[in-house]
Amino acid sequence: MPQRAEATDEIALTQRIMRAGPKRDVAAEEQFCRRFAPRIRMFGLKRLRDDAAAADLVQDVLLLVLDKLRAGEVREPDQICGFVFGTARQLVIDSRRTSGRRTRLLDTFVADLEPAGESVSHTFDTDRLRHCLQLLAERERAVLVMTFYDDCPADELGTRLGLSAGNVRVIRHRGIERLRDCVQGRRKEPT
Amino acid sequence: MRPDATLLAWWLDELDEEEANDVEAHLFECEECGARLRELLELGAGVKRALLEGHVAGAVSGKFINRLREDGLNIREYRVASGDSVACTVAPDDDVVVSYLQAPLAGVRQLDAVFDDHTGTHRATHIPFNAAANEVTFIAPTALLKTWGVAQQRVRLLAVTQGAERVVGEYTFRHSPWPQHGA
Repeated sequence: MPQRAEATDEIALTQRIMRAGPKRDVAAEEQFCRRFAPRIRMFGLKRLRDDAAAADLVQDVLLLVLDKLRAGEVREPDQICGFVFGTARQLVIDSRRTSGRRTRLLDTFVADLEPAGESVSHTFDTDRLRHCLQLLAERERAVLVMTFYDDCPADELGTRLGLSAGNVRVIRHRGIERLRDCVQGRRKEPT
Repeated sequence: MRPDATLLAWWLDELDEEEANDVEAHLFECEECGARLRELLELGAGVKRALLEGHVAGAVSGKFINRLREDGLNIREYRVASGDSVACTVAPDDDVVVSYLQAPLAGVRQLDAVFDDHTGTHRATHIPFNAAANEVTFIAPTALLKTWGVAQQRVRLLAVTQGAERVVGEYTFRHSPWPQHGA
């Protein structure tokens, strides 16, 4: 099966970092961080539900992965995505993680991770979003507001509203589509 | 590629462990899915912000209001029986204004609400309600109310069945602005 172009890029970056070893290919490391930081952050936010903890996780994972790449300890560079994922998962699970190691690594490399990429932001027009929200059907608005206020899953929300979880998912999906279309101007007014 | 619905279900902890692991591994490989999920969550953050800034109006559940209260929001509440009139206001530091409209809702399948005030008439259809509690919980648009002077709003709840409708509750809100400092 052919690999995705972006995966090929990631493998190429991985190989560059490994080849440079302790001498370091700073440009490749920066690109590597820009690619993986948003993915680790998303994973961290989901698992930890905390911005600061997710930001810490991004740094911890990247520092550890780069450390291992420079030391030539990654055996399958073509599986780098899985390696980063496994490292992130292990760090979340591992309650024995000590601050000592993190401090040592940060002291050594923190300056390199300063530009570690933030994701592209899809900023919505606030006034437009408010307007579009009020144009949604009552149930759609209720479901979206109650879902996104505290990341409420469909079964719990269904209990609150007297609906089945499946019904909540349908309403949620339809509401998101209409809201997004309205906000992005693809549809003037939800019906 | 994973559908938006699957990505959101992962985010909301609705998937079983195997499905969740599969989505997580995929998100570490797929830039596009990650970008789509981030966009979705930013939209959700905008919805939450609209609520917290007082720009959302509509029916929600009573438990949701409890959650807002637990989170420390300032909530002004009015519990109104059918046929009653209530004097109401909104304080500068109120985050949410809630009305609990009481009505006989047993057996009602579709409930609509008609709002009449100086801005016009607005009908909301298929509003969520709590039949067991005989109650509808409405969040008012707090930011808008803070701009109102003396005003009156009538609300009627209508039970709708196949082309026919009947009034199950009528309520009058007599709004006064919060007194100005030194007035």
